[in-house]
Amino acid sequence: MKRALLALPILLLAGCAAVTKIAPGETTVGERLVVKLDGAWNQINVQNMRPAQLWTMEGIYVDQFRLYSGIKDGQAIHPTGGNASQKSFNFRSNMQPDEIAGLFEGMLTRDGSRFTLARLEPVAFGGLPGFRLEYALIRKADNVQLSGVGYFAVSRGELFAILYMAPRLAFFQRHVGQVEQIARSAQVKE
Amino acid sequence: MKRREFLAAGCACGTLLAGAAAGAEWQMPARLARPELATEEGGLWAMMDRAEVQLRRSPFTLRDPKLHDYVQDIACRLGAAHCPDIRVYLVQTPLFNANMAPNGMMQVWTGLMLRVDNEAQLAAVIGHEIGHYLARHTLEHLRDVKSRSAFGQFLGLFGAAGAVGQLALLASAFAYSRDQEREADQIGVVLMRGAGYDPAEAGKVWDNLLLEIQAKPGGDPSRNPMFATHPSEEERRETLLRVAATAPGGVNNEDAWQQQTAPFRRQWLKDEVKRGQHEESLALLTRLIVHSPTRPEYFYARGEVYRSRAGDKDLDSALADYQSAIGLGGEPPETHRGLGLIQRQRMHAAEAKESFRRYLDAMPDAPDGPLIKSYLELLAQ
Repeated sequence: MKRALLALPILLLAGCAAVTKIAPGETTVGERLVVKLDGAWNQINVQNMRPAQLWTMEGIYVDQFRLYSGIKDGQAIHPTGGNASQKSFNFRSNMQPDEIAGLFEGMLTRDGSRFTLARLEPVAFGGLPGFRLEYALIRKADNVQLSGVGYFAVSRGELFAILYMAPRLAFFQRHVGQVEQIARSAQVKE
Repeated sequence: MKRREFLAAGCACGTLLAGAAAGAEWQMPARLARPELATEEGGLWAMMDRAEVQLRRSPFTLRDPKLHDYVQDIACRLGAAHCPDIRVYLVQTPLFNANMAPNGMMQVWTGLMLRVDNEAQLAAVIGHEIGHYLARHTLEHLRDVKSRSAFGQFLGLFGAAGAVGQLALLASAFAYSRDQEREADQIGVVLMRGAGYDPAEAGKVWDNLLLEIQAKPGGDPSRNPMFATHPSEEERRETLLRVAATAPGGVNNEDAWQQQTAPFRRQWLKDEVKRGQHEESLALLTRLIVHSPTRPEYFYARGEVYRSRAGDKDLDSALADYQSAIGLGGEPPETHRGLGLIQRQRMHAAEAKESFRRYLDAMPDAPDGPLIKSYLELLAQ
């Protein structure tokens, strides 16, 4: 995470990471996740976040909105960068909600950041039975205290998820309403 | 001192312990005076002072006065006349690490405290770090880095991270040489003896760490260049026995250590499980269970690791560990959640309901309570 945080702005400055405007309206993430946006978002195209799509309102140092569409059984939710010594975070289609939450927790804390679960509850997502996660994260790289929310569902053995996090002071509250609206609008195509 | 650095230092353990046993003399220097700000050492201290201000405010710092004073007292007994210059900070990070900056700021990470069995083992690591401080190894290394024109790069790195991250970067940028590690170990052994601790415990820390390294996939130390020169098990054992024979005795204060750290152990174990390094955690927890077979939290934690790994027969192992924890009594409430999740997965509805109820009875405000309640509703249908 620390390396990603350091590398991403550098890539942006160097023009290596393209920024694309996601216009309001309906948009499809991957092949099967359809969401409706009330406002525009910025999509940052970087390799080291795949398979997630990375969106932001304020810039990735401030807020990150990660969208996962159709993660297959055995597929990693975050790249290891070819480093075999790094732990991999692979989704299994038979994972229970608490295991999926643990998978994302592990991914978010792989740099030593501190995660605290605030709430884990069953909620429909994408028109499917799913669950919702609320959490707090203290980012190791800069000690910033973040709030986060995520929605998850599994369809035909594939994982669909959205995960938003931002500094708990001001920024999270500023944008979480839009994220909740996006979560409510989500549909997973059969 | 990161775990690999400690292991690397351990490679020299036989030599240094033999030297110590032979009576190699080391004289404790006088207290280090604050250097002039205009000097390179003064600049280094100023940089560390700024990092210390951040560390003091860091949300990663464990602010428990009783535990802090206890560890500070261990450092003081080791540092003796240097006690007023040593300021200990306990840092909530589940990794084996301790380090001491040239201005006297010392970090002790909770992952290290989970891994040591007694005061003497912690004293071995703290004594080693005080050894680096007394020998001013950081300054030596700063001069070496500057001579290699890498200082700008180092400073650039230093400015980009938070307090704990900064110190981690500092440790990597100031990786000590093998000779410096030998010297710090030698000083550490002298300090341990001076404080009345059994120096043989230092070797046990090394043995315990090796267990975890060896458990990691691809973690065979004999295939790692860093360990190419480390003494064999037999040689190390003989060296430690020789040291014990030449200067037998010393305390390890295990009871005091276990008592002081008991209120924090469950959280440290949860942090360890969350690392997701299954093989290392299993090696650690199995060792802790062998060492303290009546502690239910160790069985619970190992059960969680097995359940998280979910490999062949892992769920059976998890069930066995959860049952052991419950059998011992005083188990963490989450033991029943883990048990219930496996029972639910195996369609043992009645048992799962009972386990979930016990979990929710013990933790009615559990953050995952809504999810567990939904499981109970489904199981009731």
